[in-house]
This record gives sequence, structure tokens and C-alpha cells, in this order.
Amino acid sequence: MIGGDYVPSNYIPVVIFIVIATLFPIVTLLVAKLVRPSTPEPDKLGPYECGIDPQMESRGRYTVRYYIIAILFVIFDVETIFLFPWAVQFKVLGLFGLIEMLVFLGILIVGYVWVYKKGALEWV
Amino acid sequence: MPLPFIVITLIKAIVVLIVLMTVAAYLVWFERKIVARIQNRWGPTRVGPFGLLQPLADAIKLLTKEDFTPAGVFRVPYLLAPALSLTVALLAFAVIPFGPGFQIADLNIGLLFILAISSMGVYGIVLAGWASNSKYSLLGGLRSSAQMISYELAISLSVVGVLLLGGSLSLREIVSAQSGVWGLVPRWNVFPQLVGFFCFFIAAIAETNRLPFDLPEAETELVAGYHTEYSSMKFAMFFIAEYTNMVTASCMATILFFGGWHGPVPSFLPAPLQAVVPLFWFSLKVVLFLFVYVWIRGTLPRFRYDQLMSFGWKFLVPLALINLVVTSFVIALRA
Amino acid sequence: MNEYFTPGDFLVLKPVILLVLFGMGVMLTDLLLEKHNKYFNAVTALVGVGFASVAMWMIQSQMNRDGAGVYEAFRGAIVLDSFSIFFTWIFLISTAITIIISIRYLEIEEENHGEHYAIILFATAGMILLATGMDLITLFVSLELMVISIYILTGFLKRDRRSNEAALKYLLLGAFSSGILAYGMSLLYGISNSTNLVEIQSKLAQRPAGDPLVMMAVVTLAAGLFFKIGAVPFHQWLPDVYEGAPHPTTAFMSVGPKAAAFALFLRIFMVPLGPVRDQWLPLLIGVSIATMTLGNLAAISQSNIKRLLGYSAISHVGYLMLGLVSGNDTGLKGISIYLLVYAFMNLGAFTVIVAMRRRDLIGDEIDDMAGLMYKSPTAAVLMVIFLLSLAGIPPTAGFLGKYFIFLSLLETGHYTLAVIAVLYVAVALYYYFRIVSVMFMREPIDKELPSMSPGIRVALGVTAAMTLIIGIYPNPFIEFANRTVLAVMR
Repeated sequence: MIGGDYVPSNYIPVVIFIVIATLFPIVTLLVAKLVRPSTPEPDKLGPYECGIDPQMESRGRYTVRYYIIAILFVIFDVETIFLFPWAVQFKVLGLFGLIEMLVFLGILIVGYVWVYKKGALEWV
Repeated sequence: MPLPFIVITLIKAIVVLIVLMTVAAYLVWFERKIVARIQNRWGPTRVGPFGLLQPLADAIKLLTKEDFTPAGVFRVPYLLAPALSLTVALLAFAVIPFGPGFQIADLNIGLLFILAISSMGVYGIVLAGWASNSKYSLLGGLRSSAQMISYELAISLSVVGVLLLGGSLSLREIVSAQSGVWGLVPRWNVFPQLVGFFCFFIAAIAETNRLPFDLPEAETELVAGYHTEYSSMKFAMFFIAEYTNMVTASCMATILFFGGWHGPVPSFLPAPLQAVVPLFWFSLKVVLFLFVYVWIRGTLPRFRYDQLMSFGWKFLVPLALINLVVTSFVIALRA
Repeated sequence: MNEYFTPGDFLVLKPVILLVLFGMGVMLTDLLLEKHNKYFNAVTALVGVGFASVAMWMIQSQMNRDGAGVYEAFRGAIVLDSFSIFFTWIFLISTAITIIISIRYLEIEEENHGEHYAIILFATAGMILLATGMDLITLFVSLELMVISIYILTGFLKRDRRSNEAALKYLLLGAFSSGILAYGMSLLYGISNSTNLVEIQSKLAQRPAGDPLVMMAVVTLAAGLFFKIGAVPFHQWLPDVYEGAPHPTTAFMSVGPKAAAFALFLRIFMVPLGPVRDQWLPLLIGVSIATMTLGNLAAISQSNIKRLLGYSAISHVGYLMLGLVSGNDTGLKGISIYLLVYAFMNLGAFTVIVAMRRRDLIGDEIDDMAGLMYKSPTAAVLMVIFLLSLAGIPPTAGFLGKYFIFLSLLETGHYTLAVIAVLYVAVALYYYFRIVSVMFMREPIDKELPSMSPGIRVALGVTAAMTLIIGIYPNPFIEFANRTVLAVMR
């Protein structure tokens, strides 16, 4: 059990690194702000459209397939997350672990076959 | 927590950061040179000998360019996106072991940390695509997120094979488990996990948005993809992030599949020099992977987007799954 | 590895495992079937339910031989006692009937995909687990398995606006209520440091009276559960969803999942919240009165028969909750019998509505039933039996359920409640007989006959027979319910 005064000391360097890595882009942007010129012009405000004035709204509708991919990703990514602790403890769990995971994978593979055959992975 | 420890960590972190920036900058030079030679050109030659000062010149140029924000962007995410991309790209190096003891933090879940951090890279790209008020950016951001999450799956699945062999999520322990030899060949994971390595490396190329999977920024159709509307230092940040991710992916391939700092041959150097040997092997392997990256870029044409998605979902994911099942069976049978 | 689970644990779950396997089998064989062969999916699903029933029967007879009375599995997370066995039978029967009445309906709607049957089987697996679970995590996961399946079934007519609207409403409200329920469960875990219901019960008994944490847990759990069973004030989704869902799905969700939600309701209120009965009793009395009132009064003015039956389902929930209000043997026996009887009579009524669906008629308005007597006398007469039973008139089965519940109210001295409940039976009679009068007194609006497919004939026969048999010869069923009560009161 983790006691009340437990300090995850391994993570302190990570925290330090996170602070530095966060500061790095901020400092760089600030330095760049000091150095660079600024000559604002109305023409510079338009989005890039090969020199033509943009037509229609730029954040328009897009294909639903991106959503399908996102949903599938959630399902299969959760699956792999379950695989990680299993894989690390595989030699301890032995045959029991193997069978349990085969059942788990079997259910997901049925889902995969179904998704495949239903054409959810087609992109045209 | 003792103060010296914090100071040492601080120094370590800054050193790693500086080395990383240099590597990323020179990776651009390296890439330009090699691609140029592949295409029978010279590449950068003007700035310094062999164009060696070219990265410096690029940096100065990007730093002093005007930075304008187009009208209609969502300001906060627009500003946040490049910073997030870069920060997240750098974070992975908090746990990567460059050699025995050359590591900022030895987490017992190092691999999980890297996977978690690298999957956060999608945020930067999605935010950039959505925040900048441009059709190209939006399409690039969407494509990129779909691509990255698809291939992230293949990466996670192919890594499970290594975990089965190594039995630990700590990167240091994964490397330690690969010391020694089987007869003539070193005990690297790549030999039992050739299929896993194949999946991993291909998915890693896609994950870093590199050719032949650079659909998110396919310049012939999407101008520059998600960073079309970015200029000056913000653009540079996306750029550095991409190259840093390449280095990360190479480091990961080295650690997980190629024995990390273990050399293929024993070294007979005198003791003081012996400490440098692991670093040498590690860097050599990383550079080799980076070379393969550039080589692939110089050789292969770009995929079509539907090909890219079906390759990931219909080929790599099942292949990684089969590899995983077979590996677990073999290990269970031998035990 | 003996430190994990034993094979016996899995044997207890055999019906659930079989259902899930057959569900996956349906999904896979569906990919191979031609459009006109889709009825084969229903056959596979029925075989699956049959196998699960056989497995259940074998477990039950083994239990009788052992004289064990209760099987615990997965370290107490799954408890198979006569309570769960009773409910499992309700689920298996209602699933089988739903499957056979879906075949023709889905063909008419041109949505006869195998997933329909697969999802019904998954929902049934969730329902059985819900009745057998004794652990907060098992219960929550199986609850979600059940309700997510029903969200999909509700929106199964993807070209139909009402179906889509109903599915979205149900999904959003359902997710919200699941969240509240999970909050209540987490409070229980926080109070007791255990997810096992029995352990929670003993921990709650030690808390001081009027503990605000316990109050919070009771209120949040009650809110989540009231939503799931469709009690006032969390009932608004129910008529909309009943109206929008495909007819067989409405039939299914008004029976199986409702009984499952009630099983969960009973388990939670009797086992972990049993010690704090004083705290939830006033809440329960208020809610049951409100539920009966609103359900019965709102049903009067409905012109859509599915909506009407939806409001009548709400009023039945009110009656069922009265059984828990009295909380003695008779009351719980009444709930069990009521749910069993309700399964048959409600499925029967909905089967008649399913038969009304024809090529060009949705058939869910009361006016669509006009002159049913002249077109299909059998269906009309059976509908009268089901409606009488729903109202609770002897000698039909519906009387039996209401009888025990009213009796339990009298036994425990809730005279006012009993009077109110009896008065509402009169109101219910009024709106049920609106349907009867339309069927018998009005001229038919068209010549087209109701689509009495073989499946619907079988379903009507079984439900009508059971409605009458339980009403006329109730002893074995009362005996069965008696044992159920003993398991809960244990």
C-alpha cells in the first residue's frame, strides 16, 4: 500500500523536464517577438487560398468517416491498453493468462471482422 | 528532496534539450544533403563548409521573419497548437535511456509514458487545423489526426510483443533484457520480433507524418496541411517538433528492438573510454534509423489517402495482432 | 491457477456465455446471408436462447440435487440464487418472444439485419448479469451492456425520424442517469471501501442515523434507478422512446429490461440500502404515488397506443414500487409475480400492435385498431384478455400481481396507499377500454388484414395461454416466487 507520505520520487525529474519543455516554446516565442519586424497590412490577414479571395466558410462539413475512425480507435486502443499489463505479467499468469487473453482478443477479433465486412474501413 | 539532486536533474534536462535541438537542426541538414545526393544534386553548400552552418542560418531566418496572424482564427488554440506540439515532442526524452545511467528519469512505466505523450501530439495538429481559418489546414488536421490514431494502434500492438519478451514497461529494463548473445547473434528483440519491428517502424513513419505517409502536409494538394497559416517561429516549432518526433521514433526503435546501448560486438577499449561505448552504439543506431527515414523519403512516392488508411487498418493492425498471438503462444509453450 | 477463478465460476455463467457466443455467431453468419435469408439469424438467436435455457435448467436442477440453494462465483461478484433464477427465466422467455415477433416486422421495415438479434442477445446477457450480480462493478457494467444495446435497438429504423429522435433522447438522458447512478455507487464504495453489496450492507448498518453521506448515496442511487425503471419525476423519456422505437423493441424494453432494472432496484434497495430503510421509505412512497397518478391520468388522453401503453407502464411501475414500500414477504412476492405476469400480458398486447404493422400503415394509433373484431376476431379477443389483465381483473393473471401487492399494503398498515392504488385501477380500466371500444364498436378503416405471421401466432398463443394459466392456476408460480423472496430476504 502507498502510505500518506509517499513521494513518487521517480517523477520529480519528469516534472522538472515538463516545466523546462513548457518554458522552452514560450521563451522562444517571446524572443522571436523582440527580434522580428512587424508591418501589418490588410492583405496579410486573409487565409491562404492561392491568391484568390476565399469563398464559403472554411470550417465546413467533412466526411463522417473521420468519426468512424475515431470511434474504432477508442475501442481498439482500450483493447491494447488492457494488453499492456497482461503482457508484462504474462510469465506469471501462465496458461490462465493466455486463455483469458485469447477470449478477450477473440471477442475483439469478431468485432474487427464485422467492422471489416461492413465496410467501415473502406475510405471511398 | 535534496537540492543537489534537483540541480543535477536541471542540468541534465538542459543538456538533453540542447543536444536535442542541435540534432533536430542538423537532421534537417542531414536530410537535405542525403536527399540531394539521392537526386544527384549537391544540397546546401554555401553556408560554411559542406553547408554545415545552414541550420544556423535557417534558425536566424525563421526567428527574424514577420509573424502575422490571419483574421478569423481562434487565437488561443492557434497560439497553443505549435507550443503544444513542441512541448509534447520534447517530453518523450524525459524517460529515454541513452546509456546505462544516462537517463533523466527511470520510470517503471517508461514505455507507457512515451506512448501516452506521443499520442498527445495529435492535439497540437488538430488544434492547428481547426483554429487557423483555412480549408487546407482543416483538411490537413483531420487527415493527420485520423492517420495518427490509426497508426498509433499498430504501434501499441506491435510493442506488446516486446513486452511479452521483456516483461517490463521500464525502458531501462527492456534494454537490459537484451544484453548478451544467442550464439553469434546478439539477444536483440528484432530477431524474435521481426514482424513486430516491421509493424513498429512503418507505423512510426506514419506516426511522424513522414513520406510516404505525409498526407497531412501533402504540398501538392493541401499547400502545407495543418501549418499552412503559420509563419515565422510558430512554423518553426511545428518543424522542430516533426524532426524531434523522428528522433524519438528512432530512439524507440533502437531501445525496443535493437538492444539500446548494447553493441553487437564486445569492446576492448581501456576503462576510461569504456563509458562512452554505450553512448556510441546508441547514437550510431539512432543515426542509422534516421538515415533509413531519409532514404525512404528520397525513394518512395506518396500513398493515396484511402490506401494509407486501409494499409493501416487492414494490414498492419491484423499483422500486429497475429504477431502478438503467435509470440504469446511460443512463450507459453517454451515455459 | 487456483488463486484466480475456478472452472465452476464459469459454469455458473454458462447461460450468459452461451448467449454472448450465439450473439457473436449471429453477427458473423449475418455477413454470409443473402437479403432474403435473413430470417435465419432469428433462428440462430432462438437456438441460442434455447441453449441458454437448457444450461439454466441444468444449473437449476443441479442446485436442487445439491440442496445448495445458492451458487457464488467470482468471489461473490456473481450470486446465483432463486431470485436471479426467477428473473433469468423472465428474461429468457421475453427474449424468445421478442425474437419471434421481430421477424416479419423487420422484413416489412426492410431493416432485417442480423445485428438486431445479436444485440437482443447481448442485452439479455446484460440483463441476466444484472439479476445475478452482487458487486457494484458487475452491476454497473451489465447495466450499461443492457441499456447501450437498447439505445441501438431503439434507433434501429435508421430511415425513421421518430426512431432516431427516440434513440438520441434515450441515449442522452440514459447516459446522464447512468452517471448519477455511478456517482451513487462511488459514494457507497467510499462509505464502505468495498464493492460487494453484502459488505456494503454491513458497513452501512454501522453508520450513525442521518449520516449526510448515506443520504447523498441514497438520493443519487434512487435518482439513477428511478430513471432506469421510469418512475416519476424521471419518466419523461419513456413515452417518447416507447413511441419512437420499433414495435418489437418497445415490447422487449417494456418487459425484459424493465424487469432487469427492477431486479437491480430491488437488490440495491434491499441489500446495501436495507439498513437505512427509514431514510428512503418516505421518498419511495411519494414517488410511487406520483408515478401512479401521472401514469394513469396521462394515459387517458393519449391517441397513440404505444404512448398509452408507455404511460400505463409508468403506472405499473408505481404499483410495483408499492411492493417495496411494504417491504414484507408478501410485497416482494407480489413484485416477483407482477413482473412475471407483466412480461406475458404486456408482450401479448404489444404482439397485437406488431401485427398491426403493415406495408403502408405504422399501426400505432388507437384508430388503426378500429374494427379489429371484424378483421381478426382472435387478435381482438386476445387483446381484450391482455388489457383486462393489465387492468388487473380476475381471472386473468394481472389480478394476482395486484392482489399480493395490495395485500402486503394492508398487512403493513398502509391503508391510504392501498385505497389510492385501488382507485387508480378504475382509471386504468377506463383507458384500456377505450381501446376495446375502438376494436369492437367502430367500423374498420380499411380492408387490409393484420399480418399474422407464424411467429406472431405462436407469440400470441403463448402469452395468452400463460396470462390465463397463471390467473386460473397460480399455485406453482406463487411457490416459485416464494423461494425468490426467501433469497432476497436472506
